[in-house]
Parts: sequence; C-alpha cells; structure tokens
Amino acid sequence: MNREELTPHVEELKRVLGDKISEEELLKELDAYLNVYHVDIMSAKRGILRKHGDVDLDTGSFVTGGAVVKKIGELTGSEMNVDILAKVVFAEKKNVQIKNSARTIISGILGDETGTASFTVWNGEDIELEKGAVYMFKNCYTKLWNDKVQISTGNRSTISRENVEISTPERQISYSSSVAKVADLKEGIGNVTITVKIVSVECRNIMVKGEPRVVFSGIAADTTGKVQFSAWKDFELQEGETVCIKNAYIRAWKGIPQLNFGDRSEVSRVDDTIGDIASAVDSRRTVGEIVRNGGGIDITVSGTVVDVRVGSGLIKRCPVCNRSILGTECMSHGTVEPVQDIRLKVVIDDGTGALSAIIGRELTEKLTGMTLKMAVDLSKARGETEAVTRAMADRVLMRRVTVTGNVMSDDYGPMMIVSSADDDKIDVPARAAELLKKVEEAIM
Amino acid sequence: MNARETAWRIFAGELNASSLEKKGEDEKSVSYVITPLGTMVNRVLVCGVLTEKENIGTDDEPMWKARVQDVTGSYFLNVGRYQPEAAAAMANLDTPSFVAVVGKVRTYSPEEGRVYVSLRPEKMMSIDGDTRNMWVLDAAESMWDRLLKLRKTVSNPDANANALIGMGLTAQEAEGTILAHEHYGDPDSSRYLSVLQSALRMLLPDRTIDLGLPEEVPDAPEEIEVEGGDNDSGMSALDKEDVILRLIEELDDIHSKGAPRAEIDRRAAMEGISEAEVEEISDSLMDKGLIYEPNLGYLRKI
Repeated sequence: MNREELTPHVEELKRVLGDKISEEELLKELDAYLNVYHVDIMSAKRGILRKHGDVDLDTGSFVTGGAVVKKIGELTGSEMNVDILAKVVFAEKKNVQIKNSARTIISGILGDETGTASFTVWNGEDIELEKGAVYMFKNCYTKLWNDKVQISTGNRSTISRENVEISTPERQISYSSSVAKVADLKEGIGNVTITVKIVSVECRNIMVKGEPRVVFSGIAADTTGKVQFSAWKDFELQEGETVCIKNAYIRAWKGIPQLNFGDRSEVSRVDDTIGDIASAVDSRRTVGEIVRNGGGIDITVSGTVVDVRVGSGLIKRCPVCNRSILGTECMSHGTVEPVQDIRLKVVIDDGTGALSAIIGRELTEKLTGMTLKMAVDLSKARGETEAVTRAMADRVLMRRVTVTGNVMSDDYGPMMIVSSADDDKIDVPARAAELLKKVEEAIM
Repeated sequence: MNARETAWRIFAGELNASSLEKKGEDEKSVSYVITPLGTMVNRVLVCGVLTEKENIGTDDEPMWKARVQDVTGSYFLNVGRYQPEAAAAMANLDTPSFVAVVGKVRTYSPEEGRVYVSLRPEKMMSIDGDTRNMWVLDAAESMWDRLLKLRKTVSNPDANANALIGMGLTAQEAEGTILAHEHYGDPDSSRYLSVLQSALRMLLPDRTIDLGLPEEVPDAPEEIEVEGGDNDSGMSALDKEDVILRLIEELDDIHSKGAPRAEIDRRAAMEGISEAEVEEISDSLMDKGLIYEPNLGYLRKI
C-alpha cells in the first residue's frame, strides 16, 4: 500500500487518537505493519490504537481482535472467531471421555430472532447456563455437521449473562403452513397441515432428555402412503378415525420421515375421505422420490434387479440372535451350532435410482424357485456355497420385480426390508399407447 | 452421498451422440457422460441384440469386444479381466441373441472434440424378446421425460439450477441440462421424436404411427457433432454412402479379411468425410443390408 492509499486510514486513526501521535509517526507505524510485517489493515489499525491510545476496543481481552458479532441465521459453519448473543433454549451437562480424560461439557440449543443452532461448551465444569436466559458467547467457533451449523466454545471463549430479552422463532425450520400428503413429507419441514386416517395407535412411556414423557405413537395413512406418527399430547386418537392435524412437523429416523405433533398442534375429527386402508392406499414410489424425500413404511417399488450382492444365497445364522455369521462363531454368542438359511441381497434399479433390497427366505424361495433344501443339496453336491449364489443370481438378475417393504435411507442410498415381492408384469401395448398419446398431444 | 449410480435406460443413438464429459475431480467422485438431452450418465441398463463378439485376449485372460444393437444404433462393449462376471457371461452368449447389459460408460477421446462412448459391462444376461420390448418402452418413456425437462431449461435460459429445481427438475437434471444446453446448443427435437417414433412403431406394430416427421430422418445413430469439424464437404448423404461403398469394395480386394475400418477412415478423410460420418454411414449401410462385418474391425460388401 502506498502513501496515497494509506491516507484515509491515517485520517481515521487521527480522528480517534487526536494529538497523541503525529501524522508522520502514524504513517511510519502503519507502513511497518503493512509493508514490513504484512499484517492486514484491520489488524494494523487495531494494533496502533491499542499501542497509543487507551481506546476502548469494546473488550478488555486481546483475543477478541478480529471477532465479529453475528446472528445465528448468519452463521456459515466456518467462523473461527465469532461473538454470539443468544438465548439458551436448552442445555444439559454431560460427563464425557475425551482422549481418555474425563471432561464436563454442556450441550444444547441456542436461539435468537434469526434461528437456532446446537452448541457445545467444551469446558463446562464451572459454568451454569440457565434455560431461557440470554448470554453473550464471545470467541466461539462454528462447524458444519450434517449441513447444520454447530457452535462451540473453546479455551479462549467467554460466556457472560446479559440482561436482555430475545424471542426465538417457534421452530427450528419453519416454512409457511402447507397442506401436505403423506408422499410429500420429508425431514425438516414444519407447520404441516395433513389429513390422515389412524391405522394404529399405542401409548408409550419414554424418557426424553432425562424426563419421563408419554407419547402416543402409531401409523397413519392417506391415499398416498403410510407414515409413522408421534403425538406428544393426548389427543385421544382412536384407531380408524380420520383426523386433520394442523401445525405438525417432520423428523426423520433412519431416513424415514415421521409425523410429529404436540402442544402447538390442533387435531380435529373430519369425515373419512380415505376409505379402506388396504385398498385405497397407493404407496408406490420411484427410487428417485425415495432419495429426495427419505424412506417410509410399506412402500412399493418396481424395477429391474441389476445386481445380486455378496451375502446372497446360502448363509448361516446364530440360533440365538438370528444374525448372519461366518463359520460357527457369533459375535455375541461365541461358538454356536449355526442354522442354515437362504436370502437375497439385491440392487433394484428403476431408472430413477438404485435401491438395496434384502429378501428373506420365503420370498427368496418364491422368486428363485429354489427352496432351502434344494440350496443345501446343491451346495453339498458342488462342495461350495457360491454355487447356490450363482444359481440364484441366474434366476433373478435382470428380472423386473415389484417389491414392498419398509425403506430406510442413509448416505449409501435407500434400503428396503422386503415384505412382499413379485414379478412386475407390465402391459407394454397399453403403456406404449399412453406414451404415444402424450407425445402426439405435445407436438400437435 | 455415496449412493449407487442410477442405471439409465438410454438408446444408443443418444448415448453415442454425447461429446461432453464431467470428470470426477478426485478418486472418490464420479465421472459422467452428459448426453445431448442433458442426462448425466455413469451407468446404463441397455437391452438389444448381441450382433457380434470377439475375444481379442486369450482363453485364460479374455478381452471381449462386442456390439449390442437397439432400434437406434449400436453400443460398443469392452469386457476385460476386471469384469469377471460379465466376461464369463459373454463366453456363453450367442450371436445373434437378445441380451441385457448393466455397465459403466467409458469414453475414448482420440483428439480434442471427438468422443467415443463405450460400455464396460458389469453384468450381462440373455433375455427374451418380451423383456427387450419392455426395455424399449422404458427407454422411450425415459427419453420423452428427459426431452421435456431439457425443454424447460432451454426455454428458461436465464434460470439457474435452483430455479429449475423449483420447476420440478432434480439437482442432477438441472445441472446436466444446463451443461448440455451450453455445450450442444438447442436440441434437435425431430431427431429424438424420430427415435420415439421408431420405438413406438416397434411396440405397436398394428398402429399407424406418424409423428409428422420427414421420413428420411434416419434411425441410424446420429452423426457425432464435432466442434470445428468439417461436415461440409458439399456431398449429400447418398454421395457419401457411394464413396464409402466404393472404398470398401476397393480395400476389400487388397485385404483378405475385408476392408479395415482404420483404412476406410483414412481414405474417407481424404475425400472430406469425417471418421464420425464414416461410422454413421457404415452403420446405415449395415442396416440397409449392403455391407456386413466379416471380422471385427473389417467391412465387406454383401
């Protein structure tokens, strides 16, 4: 930076420092910071102010240099040094082991007008945070975890209580109220209005963050599919009734979106527009839809078997826990007398995505026409279990199948535990005629 | 996401016309071929007729080269030692027969702007004609769907990926169609409609299907557009066919196995016909039953 470029900064410094330092000296100092030590202009100015004036740099601590104040909604997850004024929405102390030494940490949720984020105080031994109170968190850093910002405090951070009020938004992610069908539900959406029929419901007592709670959970459905729900308040839900739920929100478990509603939600009884669950619910999805919205229960997918994976064919299971084992050693139960079983682990692709599917004995026998006994005999005759896997692969590879089951979803894509499976029979002329009609309509 | 790549049902005509690639930046990320319709393809599921196969390796270490033909052209297959399942299957497959192939798309680019697309099969399987027809229907439906999505991108040239996602495209469709439109320009709809027409005629033999397209649009693979290439030799398609036929005849006299493709390419280039065009013309001649391939890489007049 040359002299001319420095002038506005010198002017600025002069305004603050007055006649504590001459312009010549100021220039020399700045020049040294910038051109000799190559310090950035902000730090250079702070340095000079600190050295020459007893100027209040809004904190007494040197480490605050360069810290910025941000609202939670502005955090990007890459802040190295940030000050946050926020309300403690929730906090709990935990004792954890970090690198073999015991630590007390505080974790919870912070909120301000712009949003909420989870936070961790890594040295929480002597710190008490009161739920609902507002604190200034200085010199924090942030990281991204699962695309969400996490705030952490470290050795250099300070936490001080502030006597101000902050109101946090109602919910972590809040879209404007939307009317949804089961097929539209995906993780993270809030303020949903939905009309569903209660297929089953049961009352459970569970512990949530150390406190006992009663939850009414079960399965609900509309014509587009079934969904698991949790009602955090007793709405006196009855099996078979149809209800309209306002202000529900969606959380996912193992990639399966689940419907949640509680104190802030409204439930009203409405006329049954859904009809008989067994015949009216169409839970057909493309794999692409599953990838976008998450898994679900009793979902039906049609596609082609494009791969038969390792672990298909004749396998051994532990007689106690039923897990598949190699040889005669179960991870949990030691040496056991294994039980033989057959199964298929296949990849089904429908042109919009790929779904892993695990198919148990009964359906494997149905699809391959090979019973467990035949598989055992074949394996004995050939002296290797792989012969069974190959024979089964020959019978299912490139087959078009329709499968139904619960679908979980994670980073490796969706996976179905298949509860029913059959050949997918399609009416080629009818569908071709349909396509022709669409094309003709579009171009005429 | 580490999810498995979708196996696209895609006609050879569309796949072979691709000249754009998105290379993975590191070992972990995935490479895609981006077709003229904006589909980002890493894996395909194709069905067709296995028309030829040749083991250019040894019995112990086979290296199969093969061709599978659909209603629009041929897929070029290479199966080596790292695809043991496909290699084992290939050994037992007959020519001609209906086959289904799941495989990865590979490209070969001998020079700037020219891209050859081939398949490296993971699985191969003999199928029946009904299964083949179902696949043709799948591929036609998929093509129509993708054509409509590309139209959205083309008619909203200022829309960014997020805007297109708002219009119902997936993130990958938005990215692919934007890249394709930049690279290939406005799509030639009539070409893809004619592919749909051939597919539908095959599936509905009793219906008279006329999508109002000029009949001379060939069902053969479209020529590979070469940027800055010389497609303007002033000859009509028929003239070029004649030239190629003459060359094949002439070269066949010299070489006993037939006219070598490499030699045809070289001589054709001297006549102002690009390699891509030779490929297209020889495919079209084969479809017309005027020439055949007595040995892989050699052509002969019938």
